[in-house]
Amino acid sequence: MQRENIFDYKRYRYFKLAIIIIAIAFAAYILFEPTVGYYGGSWLGYSLGTASTTLVFWMAWYGVRKRRFRNSGSTQGWLSAHIYLGTALTVTATLHSGFHFGINVHSLTYALLLIVVISGFFGNYAYMIYPRLMTENMGEDSLDGLLMRIAETDKLARQIAIIMPDDINFIVDRACRETYIGKGLLEQLKGYQANCPTAVAVEKMTVLGSALTGEQRRLYRELYSIMIRRQSLVKRARQDLMYRARLGFWLYFHTPFAIALLAAMVVHIIAVFLYW
Amino acid sequence: MINCLLIKTSLNKRGMPVRSYRTLTAEELLIGRSAECSIHLLDPRISMHHAVIKRLDDGQFYLLAANGELEVDGAILQSIALTHGLQVMIGPFQLKVEPVPPDVNIAVSLTLVHLLPDDYQGLKSRTHEPLRGASAFKRKLALSLVAFITLIFLALPLAQNLIPNLYATMAKLPLGFDRLWSPGHISNSHLHFGSQCFNCHEVLTQQVTDKACIKCHRNVAPHISNPELQERVFNHNKLFTDGVRCTECHREHKSPHPLARQDNNTCVSCHGNIQAVDSKTKLPNIYDFDHDHPAFKLTFLTNDKEKRVVRVPQTDKARLVEKSNIKFPHSQHFGKVQGPNGIWDVHEMTCTNCHQQEGREMRFKPVSYDQDCATCHANQLTVGPSNKLVTVPHGSEQNVINALKVQAPKQLTHYSESLKTDGCAYCHEINDFKTRTSPATKTLAKLKPKLTTKPESDLPWHIVPLNINQDWFSKAHFNHASHQTQKCQSCHAVEQSDSSADVAMPDRQSCLRCHSGNSPKSKRIASSCMSCHDFHNPHKIQESLPESK
Repeated sequence: MQRENIFDYKRYRYFKLAIIIIAIAFAAYILFEPTVGYYGGSWLGYSLGTASTTLVFWMAWYGVRKRRFRNSGSTQGWLSAHIYLGTALTVTATLHSGFHFGINVHSLTYALLLIVVISGFFGNYAYMIYPRLMTENMGEDSLDGLLMRIAETDKLARQIAIIMPDDINFIVDRACRETYIGKGLLEQLKGYQANCPTAVAVEKMTVLGSALTGEQRRLYRELYSIMIRRQSLVKRARQDLMYRARLGFWLYFHTPFAIALLAAMVVHIIAVFLYW
Repeated sequence: MINCLLIKTSLNKRGMPVRSYRTLTAEELLIGRSAECSIHLLDPRISMHHAVIKRLDDGQFYLLAANGELEVDGAILQSIALTHGLQVMIGPFQLKVEPVPPDVNIAVSLTLVHLLPDDYQGLKSRTHEPLRGASAFKRKLALSLVAFITLIFLALPLAQNLIPNLYATMAKLPLGFDRLWSPGHISNSHLHFGSQCFNCHEVLTQQVTDKACIKCHRNVAPHISNPELQERVFNHNKLFTDGVRCTECHREHKSPHPLARQDNNTCVSCHGNIQAVDSKTKLPNIYDFDHDHPAFKLTFLTNDKEKRVVRVPQTDKARLVEKSNIKFPHSQHFGKVQGPNGIWDVHEMTCTNCHQQEGREMRFKPVSYDQDCATCHANQLTVGPSNKLVTVPHGSEQNVINALKVQAPKQLTHYSESLKTDGCAYCHEINDFKTRTSPATKTLAKLKPKLTTKPESDLPWHIVPLNINQDWFSKAHFNHASHQTQKCQSCHAVEQSDSSADVAMPDRQSCLRCHSGNSPKSKRIASSCMSCHDFHNPHKIQESLPESK
């Protein structure tokens, strides 16, 4: 039997709850048009705003709760609720705004909410896609294992390249010395190194060995296949790093902007009740 | 010939330096990775033929770069004179010129100073942790954002309100910090001072008071003509009881939504139980146009000096008679109609042939003879036999009689009589001073006694002044432009009307075919009180009353 995941937790319990919240919010929005048009200050706006505020604080509490080890319900359930109710929150907050936007703290709060929710959506996507891709990429290997195998190919390559002409020896040596894996955030997220020395070496070796003859040529072919293997290993190592980077990258936005959202929301509420 | 002592220094297993000596004799000493080189350095960082030691013509020994690089004190050189003590880097090896012992020309030592790194460790050092420093970055970003939001959106606006000096300084600027608290667009009428919140929000945490509004709107008229009622309804001291503040109906920060509330609640709060507000009123309670709105009252002009208009409910059919003093059958002026010239004069007529629209709301200009009637009826203004037609002007009776006196003085009496019974009387009510007094004239007599009792002029008859209604709904407004998609006849049933006394104004049921009350119904759109009525303003009511002419 397949294990339930965060999306179908308890037979979609929180999905159903989110649908109910969205349906109620929409029904209220359609049925009860405030007297001066839709806006956050009507009784409907205050109701939707209160619901949204409650949801935001509850969502934020998930961040606290998951760092605690005291038993307060299943983490899977909390995360499932976090995802679905977060989606419902986008709807209630949008209806709360009444689609009035401007350069003010209220719209800033809404914009921060969207950033948090959209980054959360990317997080969902990442956790749905990348673990499987990581498994497909690495199989039973670990990153350390891959690095050891690359080091072995380096040793073999150097041994053959040292008796090859300078140009061949140079590109092999450079590939062994200058190939980086995940240098810088951008390369980690992209999963490849621009002008990767290993890729350059493989590409150049397709034309460099034409002048070789006899035993050297046989060794050259062996060297080429070693470099191809090296390139494949390096690519796998980089992809592993890329998947791990992408799995965590959305939190660069989600967490800080969630905290900023809390601050902006508090200011938004204070501002509303200071000038009303 | 070079006779060179080569000293190779390497490290033993315990890390101690071990020197090996070898004497090389050749014309030139080739240094490189290749097996054919005199000085064979088996390291991938060394070229096949890296460099060569030569004695040049000046008798001096030189180290010349071949396919590799030579480095002295960080500088890459192609040719280096080998002098005692000189140190040259050949790839990872250091070549040092040693003191020359007897029997050789030159002595050099070679030491591997940069060991080939361990491949695994090297690779591991070049493999970076994913998102290294993410936690610190996130913490910094979160704190920066919170600090920014708190400062810009809370601390500065609060400081502006709480620190008097800052308040005074900011008041001189076009924008205040607290502008960032504005929840929506300000209406155009308040835009010129709306950038400074304190103009309306005088005290923090307090709602905008009526005093703030009155600062500018000093001369605003009372909303209700009865002062006592006005005071009762709009008493701002009775907040949360039965008083109404300005801002409860005039909602700011909702532009482009109108400043004044357009919803029924504003009206129904009083008109839903109007007796509670004004016990003497004769108005019924109204909650919803769809359910309990009374029948429309049509406004008729009267000839009464005191009461110029009278409003008659549409249910009182007997009184729905327009006394316009003109004879006009709509039925003869609609569709294919035969003109005065017989069957060869057939026109397709529509409402807009006579009712000319004007303005954005498509009000209609008063119908005039010159513009709307003369095109077809010009020949009605002639009198006499066809070979001796006398044309009279349209306008005052005096001009008509004068024209007859000039053109046909002998037939004056005859033609005047003809016009009275047939010509002018074709369209107008005639008041004959000699024979009888029509009911309209009797009414007119009260208004204009001089005309009916003894005419100052020598007019034998008089045309009763027109009394055509222009505003049927004096307490409501109607926008024809919003109803352009409808045919005129769908509301004004005039095709069968044979008399100008007929009133063809739509009743409430007619409106309810397309409109509903507070909430939309199937195929009917919701219509609030404000869709047809303006908020009651005594001055406006006075202005809107039609003048009797």
